[in-house]
Formats: sequence, C-alpha cells, structure tokens
Amino acid sequence: MATSATNAPEKVGLLRVLGPAHIWALGVGIVLVGEYMGWNFGVAKGGAFAALIACWFAGTLYTCVAMIDSEVTSTVAAAGGQYTQAKHIVGPLMAFNVGLYLVFAYTMLEAGNAITVGYLMDTVAAMTGHSGLDQRPFIILSIMFLAWLNYRGVLATLTFNLVITAFAFSSILILFVVTAPWSDASPMRHAELMTDLPYGWLGVLASMHFGLWYYLGIEGTTQAAEEVRSPARSLPFGTLAGIMTLLIAATLTWYMCVGLMPWEYLGGAGVPLFDAARLSGSSWLVVLLGVGTLFATLASANGCINDASRAWFAMGRDHYLPSWFGAVHPKFRTPYRSIIFLVPIALIFALGAPLDQVITFSILSGLLEYTFMPINVIMFRKKWPLDTIKRGYVHPFHPIPALVLLALCSVTYFAVFLGYGTQLVAMVAFYIVVSLWFHFWRYRFVNRGAQFTMPWPRPKGY
Amino acid sequence: MMDIWTVLEYGAWALSVIFGAYIVLDWIKTDSTYSEEVLTSSREGELEAMTEQHKL
Amino acid sequence: MAKYIPPVQSKIGQLIDVIVLLILAVGALYIPLWMGLAGSSKVPVPMENPTWEALGQNPTMVEQWNKLGFADAASAADMITARFDYSFSWASLIVMVVVILGYFLLMMRFSESEYREVIAEKFGEK
Repeated sequence: MATSATNAPEKVGLLRVLGPAHIWALGVGIVLVGEYMGWNFGVAKGGAFAALIACWFAGTLYTCVAMIDSEVTSTVAAAGGQYTQAKHIVGPLMAFNVGLYLVFAYTMLEAGNAITVGYLMDTVAAMTGHSGLDQRPFIILSIMFLAWLNYRGVLATLTFNLVITAFAFSSILILFVVTAPWSDASPMRHAELMTDLPYGWLGVLASMHFGLWYYLGIEGTTQAAEEVRSPARSLPFGTLAGIMTLLIAATLTWYMCVGLMPWEYLGGAGVPLFDAARLSGSSWLVVLLGVGTLFATLASANGCINDASRAWFAMGRDHYLPSWFGAVHPKFRTPYRSIIFLVPIALIFALGAPLDQVITFSILSGLLEYTFMPINVIMFRKKWPLDTIKRGYVHPFHPIPALVLLALCSVTYFAVFLGYGTQLVAMVAFYIVVSLWFHFWRYRFVNRGAQFTMPWPRPKGY
Repeated sequence: MMDIWTVLEYGAWALSVIFGAYIVLDWIKTDSTYSEEVLTSSREGELEAMTEQHKL
Repeated sequence: MAKYIPPVQSKIGQLIDVIVLLILAVGALYIPLWMGLAGSSKVPVPMENPTWEALGQNPTMVEQWNKLGFADAASAADMITARFDYSFSWASLIVMVVVILGYFLLMMRFSESEYREVIAEKFGEK
C-alpha cells in the first residue's frame, strides 16, 4: 500500500482514453516523416524508377504487415503490441527479441527525426543568411519536449500528433494540387528528368532497403492496444486507414520529387519535399512544406517515444527487463520510468551517429520484426484456428499474405546486404548474444504461467 | 552580433533544461510519494479491457 | 507441474542487467562504425573540366541544378558521377544467410521449450 499518499489508488494502470483517429495519427504520424526524408536514399541506390518499384513492393509488404497485424492485435489488447503477441503465440525468447526490435526500431527512428530537426533548422538559418548554426540545442529540445509531452499523458500526446500529422499530410496534398501536374503551367518535367535504370535491375533490389522507409512504423499502432477504448474495432480500422493514407502519400511524394529534381541530387537530399517546394517557385509553398517537414519529424519522434516506452514498459512489467521499468505514473497514467530511461539513449544516437547509420539500424530492427510476423500469424492460425477464438478482424487469403511478406523480407535482406552487410551481421550477432543472455540468465526472474494473460483456450497441440 | 538565430539557440538550450528539470523533479516526487508496490501494480490483461468475448 | 517461483531481483542486480544490455546495444551500432566497416559510400569519378554535356545532363536538368544552387557543372560533378559498388562475394552472402537462419532457428528452438513450460503451468499438464 501507499506509504504517505492520500487517496492513492491501490492499483494504477494505463488509461483507456483513445479513439480510432488517435490510432491513425499514431500509425501515420510515425511514418509520414519517411516521405519528407529518407525514402529518397532509395533513388540513389537504383534511380528514380527503382524507387517507385521499391515503393510499391514495400507497399505490398506493409499491406501484408497491416492485415496480419490487425488480425492478431484485434485479439491481443495489451501494451507491448507484437511483443505480447509473440509471448502468447511463439514463446518467451521470441517475445524478448521482438520487444527489443520494437524499442530499437523506434528509438533509432526517434534519433533520426531529431537529427532531421537540427538539419532543417540549419537549412532555414542558412537560407536567411546565418551560417554555422549549432544544431545540438534543437536536437535536444525536440527530444526533451516530446518526452515531457509523453510523460504528461497519452491523450494530449496523441491529440497533438493528430493535429500535426493531419497538417503534414495535407501539405503533401496541397503541394500536389498547386504544382498541378495536369496543366501546361506545371513546373514538373518528368519527360526530361527521368533516366534509365543506372544500375540495372540490381539497383532495383538495392533500392528495397530504403523502400521500407516509406512505411516503417505503421505496425506501431498496436502499442496503443491498452489505451484505446475499443481495441478490437479501433486498431484494425486505424491501422488499415493508415496504410491507405501512406500508399497515397508515398506515391504522390515520389511523383512530385522525381518530376522536379535530377535523380543524382534527389538521392542525396536531406529534405526532398522541402526542396521540391523550393523548385516549385512559390515562396508560400516553401514555408508550408518547411513547417510540414518539421511537424512530420516531430509527429514521428512523438509516436516513437510513445511506442518504444510501451514496449519497454510491457517487458519490465513481465520481468523480462528489470521490474523497475514496469511502473505507471499514478497521476498521468504513463509508463514514466520507461519514457525517462529512453531519453538519454535517443540522445546518444541523435548526437553521436550519422543519419544513414541510424536509419539502417532502425530499418534492420524493423526487418527482423517483419520476418517474425509471418511466423507469428501462421502459428496463431495453427494453435487457435478461426473457430476457437473470436477475432475483431480476419485477414483474407491466409497464408498468402504471410508467404508474400516472407518473400519480400528475403529480398530486403539481400538489399541491405548489398550496402550494409557488416551492420546486418553485427546486428544479428547482437541479437544472438542477448538471446543467450536472456535464455540462460534473465528468464529466471519471469513468472511462467502468469505471463500468459489472454483469456484464450489451450493452444492446439500443446 | 546577436542575431535571431543565436537567440533561438539559447532559447532551445533553456527550454530543454526546463522540460528536463520538470521530468526529473516530478519523477523524484512521484517515487518518494508512492510505494513501489503501488507504482508497479499494473498487470497485463487485468484492465477492464477484456470486454471482448473469446467465445463463438 | 510445480509452479515456478522466480527469485526477486535486487536493485543492484536490476541495474547491472540494464548496463549489460546498454553496452551490447551501443556496441552493436558503434563497433562497425569504429572499425570503418560501416555502410557503403558512393565513389565519385573525377573528371577534368566537367561540362554539363559531358555529365550527360540535358537542358532541363541543368536548369533544375541551377535552381538548386549548383551554378556550374564542376560543383555538381561529384554528385552526378558518384556510384555505389554493388559487387559482392558469394562467400559473404552465404555467411549472411547462415547467420540469419541460424539466429531464427536458435530462437524458435529455445522459445518452443520455454513456451511448453508456460502452457503446462497455465493450463495444467495434459
């Protein structure tokens, strides 16, 4: 019991306050920054057309992810998302690994966003004639402000995300309408700017590496499972609406950027949509897309803090990690210790590592997670066939989405191997070491039967 | 010369410190006000949430 | 099956576990960086007195380069000629495949044994 608190509740948990729009904002908010920066590295990898093919292949991959995830998560209504799914369906060690994928994918993405805020500030300062801006205070401020917002409560955090995500998405639509590709006055020059594939088809494969960046993070909607009012309906709805939004945004972004910039420039651009606005020749569009870029990065970092802290918290609560992290703030009802802990981690990477490395670290963790998903859903259908538990959403054509997802993941591993093979092996070596650490040391602190919390019947075959 | 960007730099440093201090102070206050049992009393699946019926 | 009662971990033990995890995670990112093995960078092909024509840029491309702040061909030459090197050895590809497959197989195996224990305690022995 509480020692000195008055009116302290005996049990404190997260609060169910979110609606489907918040889920959409969480999913799209994390990802939309991918259209404002990062996807264009895929253009450098294989040319403009390769980036489009990668955009659609990755879009297929993520549609499978969203469908599979929607089905499983509509029955697993707990913070931790895929971590909790893995714990119930595959097993504890898999769950521990998935939890770490989530935390690293999101924390690295958060660091990447903060780096972009600093870069954007520097770009704007340079445009107004101030050179040599110190980017660090802006990087630190964006992380501190969003950590503070997350600390104070989930409803305000995701309502804020809804507003800035809607703004950033609208900015892309407005840029498309104003540049009016259907009219003769349009600044777009596709016919003259498009080239053949500079690396042939190998470049198309290589481009898949950054193709993921158009959508990476949409699966994070499941982290809100414990805080949404009606998880079985809101999660599938928010997630599937999110992936549709992103498919539109990704294709429009590609279309506008390749119609305005030579691919050699686009492939290395820090903030491509902002550059597209500069080339459109309209100064108010420059301001709009500048603000859009800032909002997209903040929305993404905000969602990342939310998701990473939920996953870390869920693992602490089950003693997969030190139980100290399983604490909930009695007033704000947030996993406050996990939020605090992840702040310095994000700062280490935001201030100390180059952007493409941070992005690659994030993509690799995501990729391992997507490899887990088909395994997960196949085992889910086998252990609990459709007639044993009720699902809020049943994905069609099983097992085709799972197999497609597995095939696309293999292609992406090869793409990452082409450019970042060493990191890939270093990363997997890291997960092998922590797996052994977990299995032989850490797992002793975990309750066995009690960690299975879903009201499901006994799995088939056990 | 102090131009607008220099001011913004200092402002960003100051705000970072304020947000950071708020979090740390509240953290210390919370941890010393409530017992560890209350703070870590959340359990997965225990929320009123389990309204979904898993029977067909 | 007897219910498993986990030991309670001390504060110091919790702290040590967090530090171990952190060292491993930071190591995984920074060791490739320090060893200079990180990533592939593009290598520009140096060119004597580059012109837009020699770089294969048509008038529209030149116009866009100018708008982006590249006034002459020399300033954009490195960016235009830089290419990735996608050559790879089959041996390293096989190493990667073995490492990834080995990792997932190891994980599935350990998970399965742990999972059976969980189900047995939760639902009782069959």
